[in-house]
Amino acid sequence: MMAFIPPRLRKPAGIAMAGVVFAAAWLVRGGPLWWVAIPALVAAPARAMYLYWGGGQDTDAGALAGSRADERQQLLSLQSRALACNLAVIAAFIGLTVAIAVKAAWWWPFLVILGVAGLGYLFGLLNYGVTEAGTPDDVDAGHQTRSPVNS
Amino acid sequence: MTSCGTGVREQRTQRGLSQAELATALGVSRQTVISIEGGRYLPSLPLAFAIARFFDLTVDKMFDPDDEEAGA
Repeated sequence: MMAFIPPRLRKPAGIAMAGVVFAAAWLVRGGPLWWVAIPALVAAPARAMYLYWGGGQDTDAGALAGSRADERQQLLSLQSRALACNLAVIAAFIGLTVAIAVKAAWWWPFLVILGVAGLGYLFGLLNYGVTEAGTPDDVDAGHQTRSPVNS
Repeated sequence: MTSCGTGVREQRTQRGLSQAELATALGVSRQTVISIEGGRYLPSLPLAFAIARFFDLTVDKMFDPDDEEAGA
């Protein structure tokens, strides 16, 4: 689906869509805080426009915003996301520990975050080939290799 | 310590290319060329081969940090 959207528009479009969904959630919720949908609807397009502008800049951040990152920039993004995920997991663990200690009823969202992160990590290991151990070279060669220690 | 990117900088300047021109030729960003030349980023094997091929050299000649003649 993303292939139909020009690269420079992908992240701004995602932000705008997330803003609309977030605003819709506040409207559906109703009540006295329905007006939170208004700043959400204002902030999301503003952020999207900023990202679109940034996507045209000749910088690493611009390349990431414009979805035209090369291998080094993709690695930077990957490392940053990994760091963000680690911090989120640490924060969720602290939150869970505190919630349990004070006998709060809001402990379970932290557990959900930890569970999703853990499952995501396991899925990543499986998806990116941790199970592909390959065959030993003696099997490939059709004969037993000798260890220099034993020979 | 000899930087792995020194050879890239030497070859580029010898050919009178700008970092932006080399980046365009390799299909990477100018910032990545700067990082490689500064020794802050080691390129992937495909990119290392592309750089070596672009300069008509071998990868070890371009990136061997122990080779005093690297890039020369």
